[in-house]
Amino acid sequence: MRRSKSLKYACIAALAVAGLASAAAAQDLSIIERLTAEDKADPKSFEPTPPPSDPRDFTGVWHVSRFPKTQGDTARQPEPVFTAMGAAEVKRLVDSEAGGRVVADAGTQCLPHGMPRLVFSPYPIRFTYMPGKIVMLHEVNHNVRIVHMDRSAPPAGEPLSFLGYSVGRWEGNTLVVVTTILNDQTRIEANVPRGPKLKVTERWTKAKNIFGATDLAVTVTTEDPDFLAQPWTRRLYFAYRSDLEKNLRSDGVVEYSCEENNRNAPGADHIVTAK
Amino acid sequence: MTMKSPLIALALAVFAAASAGAAPDPWAGLPAAQRPALGTPALVGVWAMPKRITALRTLDGKAPPLLPAALALYRKNAAALKADPNSDPVAKCWMHGVPRLLYAPYPVLIAQEKDRINFVHEVNHTFRIISLKQPMPKDVADLDPLWLGYSAGHWAGKTLVIDSTGFNDRSWLDYSGLPHSEKLSVRETYRLVGPNTIEGRVTITDPLTFSKPWTTGFTLVRKPGYELKESVCSRDRKM
Repeated sequence: MRRSKSLKYACIAALAVAGLASAAAAQDLSIIERLTAEDKADPKSFEPTPPPSDPRDFTGVWHVSRFPKTQGDTARQPEPVFTAMGAAEVKRLVDSEAGGRVVADAGTQCLPHGMPRLVFSPYPIRFTYMPGKIVMLHEVNHNVRIVHMDRSAPPAGEPLSFLGYSVGRWEGNTLVVVTTILNDQTRIEANVPRGPKLKVTERWTKAKNIFGATDLAVTVTTEDPDFLAQPWTRRLYFAYRSDLEKNLRSDGVVEYSCEENNRNAPGADHIVTAK
Repeated sequence: MTMKSPLIALALAVFAAASAGAAPDPWAGLPAAQRPALGTPALVGVWAMPKRITALRTLDGKAPPLLPAALALYRKNAAALKADPNSDPVAKCWMHGVPRLLYAPYPVLIAQEKDRINFVHEVNHTFRIISLKQPMPKDVADLDPLWLGYSAGHWAGKTLVIDSTGFNDRSWLDYSGLPHSEKLSVRETYRLVGPNTIEGRVTITDPLTFSKPWTTGFTLVRKPGYELKESVCSRDRKM
């Protein structure tokens, strides 16, 4: 692929998707920290053109910022606090992996990544708007999220799904998205399990970083009374990447065909054997 | 009456349209910078084909002009499909390719911006992002071939035109096994012929597969209020 800058994301993402590294919660952050050290020399490459000036207009391609600390938010992401049931399930996943048998999560099986896992997957996201909806087009496994701005609650009888049902509203210039009705086949992170009452609240807003560039900041609060002892809130920054529209030749979001060549496909028992 | 400025003229025109009970704003909810120009046909919404088309024919109902080797491959594909439906590339959850994706029996959501048309197909959450600003890459022949190719769109009057090329040769053009090569290029056109009807044309050029370019068509009908469902091939097919 002719995509020098993003190839390394793809390699790292393959690891993240496969869930082969342990301590998933810390994993995303360590990726970001490594990139920060590597790429600090080139801050301008992150906002080749300014994003739309309207604070509510997120239209465009956004990619996890390589400069998360430029927002002055230097604290580490908090670790999740598990209930006894949650801790037992984490132990099962970690022990199985230590024995060379990774219990696959949804993304490894080319299924939609689930929430909030999808937001933390390090691939570009394109936002687009239409009457009553805001649509997020994710490069990774061509996941699509439709945020219903024209509803205040999911419709009655909505079936469980991998990405759930998302209802959105504006609070000032912050887009608040609440996602529920998620099926039980996904995880919160690679080794962070979840129960049936999962609720994810995202708060998306534009924020200036210390270089003066406009990032899209998101605060993701995950509530799961069965597996998490308290809500787990993390913050992530996306950079505006209009350069990808030209460099990657598909308007910034590259075709991603998981099913074509899934080298980490699990067996019928959902186990991926370490290769 | 003389207009003091184009802005006032525009405001008056908008007011006149609103007070005449014009259709609701098709771009409601779109940020100002993303709104298509006044008069741009509104393809935004959810659409579906009223009837299933499984084997593509030319507009006058004839078989596509296959070259002899391609005809042999078509017959082989069709025979394999008859013997085992899993011989179909999409049975492996591979992407449909173009134009087959348009003919998948699922609705499609169109999110329209000034500079871009986004097609979100319900089938296996497959999307195409078509820029109306970026030209076709000049080096497309050197780029990795893709299932959905590389596309560039533009408005020709009231008709949306999308050109695509740079495809791999692993998809079929339709549900009957019609093959193509990596030399495929596709031109789609979309024309609003009523508030709730799009008339589409697809012109297929592939000198390794067909003796000449040929054109087929489709109709899309609006599905008001329909919300796309989550369709997940790799779950449904137990890959």
